[in-house]
Amino acid sequence: MTSFIQHLRTLRLAAWLGWQLETNWASPWLFALYMLVKPVCGSLMLVCMYYAARYATGGRVPAEFLPYLYISNACFGLVGTVMFGLSYGVVRDREHYRMLKYVYISPAHFQTYFVGRGLARATEGSVGAVLNIAVGLLLFADLRSQLGPAGIDWGWLVVYLSIGLAMLWACGMILAGACLNMTRNGMFLSEGVSGVVYLLSGVVFPLAVLPAWIQGISLALPTTYWLEGMRRALTGPVPESAPVLRGPLADWSNGELALALAATTAGLVIAAQLFWRWSERRAWRLGKLEENAGV
Amino acid sequence: MPSAFRLFLTAASARTYPRVAWLFRSRSWIIQETLLPVLLVSAFAYSYRAMGAPAEYTGLVVLGAAMTTFWLNVLWGMGATVYWERDSGNLELYIMSPAPLMGILTGMALGGMTTTVVRAAVITVTGVLVFDVPLQPTSWWALAAVFSLTLAALYGLGMMFASLFLMWGREAWHMVSLLQEPIFLLTGTNFPVAAIFPKAVAAVACLIPLTAGMDAMRQVLFHTPGIFDVWGEASFLAVLSVVFFILARKLLWGIEQKARREGRLTVRWQ
Repeated sequence: MTSFIQHLRTLRLAAWLGWQLETNWASPWLFALYMLVKPVCGSLMLVCMYYAARYATGGRVPAEFLPYLYISNACFGLVGTVMFGLSYGVVRDREHYRMLKYVYISPAHFQTYFVGRGLARATEGSVGAVLNIAVGLLLFADLRSQLGPAGIDWGWLVVYLSIGLAMLWACGMILAGACLNMTRNGMFLSEGVSGVVYLLSGVVFPLAVLPAWIQGISLALPTTYWLEGMRRALTGPVPESAPVLRGPLADWSNGELALALAATTAGLVIAAQLFWRWSERRAWRLGKLEENAGV
Repeated sequence: MPSAFRLFLTAASARTYPRVAWLFRSRSWIIQETLLPVLLVSAFAYSYRAMGAPAEYTGLVVLGAAMTTFWLNVLWGMGATVYWERDSGNLELYIMSPAPLMGILTGMALGGMTTTVVRAAVITVTGVLVFDVPLQPTSWWALAAVFSLTLAALYGLGMMFASLFLMWGREAWHMVSLLQEPIFLLTGTNFPVAAIFPKAVAAVACLIPLTAGMDAMRQVLFHTPGIFDVWGEASFLAVLSVVFFILARKLLWGIEQKARREGRLTVRWQ
């Protein structure tokens, strides 16, 4: 019980520290604007692509494509913030503030500390995603017609969100573990993985467009199931009227989707724990915890 | 005693050197500087394919990704570098030395341009080959002229950013972050601005050299409708280059004096 309370204390303090680092560089209003502008502009660019394609094809792009793009991109924001947040926490604490070694020798549990740092980014990402969707609802009728309080499947949304958070935490821990043993390229690793996931999980296009051999890799990624689940919980299944949006998961039931997500996430969590322990020990043995590359 | 011009050239070439040498010493850039943007290009290209957009639209995405690398280099390699140089203790050495700060910034720009041209070329070639982008330029000379003018204006703007970063502390990182997605949207990185934005908005967006530059290059390469005609946009880019360079000089001097007075040149870990 004492150990559990110590973990909770580390988690709370690390989350608080992470939140302060993320937010206190600006006034609350400026920070709120920052949280809104960045994700919304990312989504608006996809909206502009959608309208550009409609303009070029004489309106032949199905209206359902817009909610698909918008919701996927808003949810993917969480993937980026949590994964990048955890690994960037390592780089920042070691290179910028030079505090990593002090955290390590403190009584705080090392892994829990990074989970706390990731929690701060997850909060930021979640608020950004909600604001992003709210702006989308306000601006685009195509999005309003697909997504509304009556249309949202709240039960499945909770299921996908819960498993998704475990998945994001596991991904983040793998990246943070790798960053512990990297010097210059740590920052780019999470960007790279995020880019791979963005492409392979079909964030801005249905998986059916990819070559068949790449689709196989996509279906091995838990993010693919998570994004499909989130889209389905928020906007419902892809309608028959938009065959272009029907990918290899279109005929799966929510149960099958959640099961695939849970199974791949369980595998990922085990791999993350093994990898983190190995990485932490290796970094400690080779003196990587205080190695400074001046990046 | 070296002349002011010689000192400028020496400072510029000395600052260019580490950036170019980095190309050969740290080979990991090949992955991080080329593979990552290509992944995003692929995602957007597949998105256009799924929507049934014409093949030229994939070309817009490829060109957008290539030109975006210059914008990112201007932000991270020009602006944020001043912040990092301050954090690492180099900035105070620059200021103390007889080398003109404008020469150091010019060196940063030249070095950054060299490395980014390689990066942009890899993205373009990969994108064109993988996605079979149809290229039918009306004139290679016009393309080269517009490209050069875009770089001149962009890096002039970068020099202005660099002076602003003398004033910023930890918020610098977030400011750079904030100048990405909104700028990608406004400049039409992945879509033709003229087809989406009202003319007035598109004209204002042209104040960012990336908008006018990409729009002109797209007209030359893919014959897409432009905001203005190619030579109008090229002339505007030439004017912007001169204006940004003059403003950067003034701004750098003014802000350096202000930073000296407020003791911001040596502040670290803000």
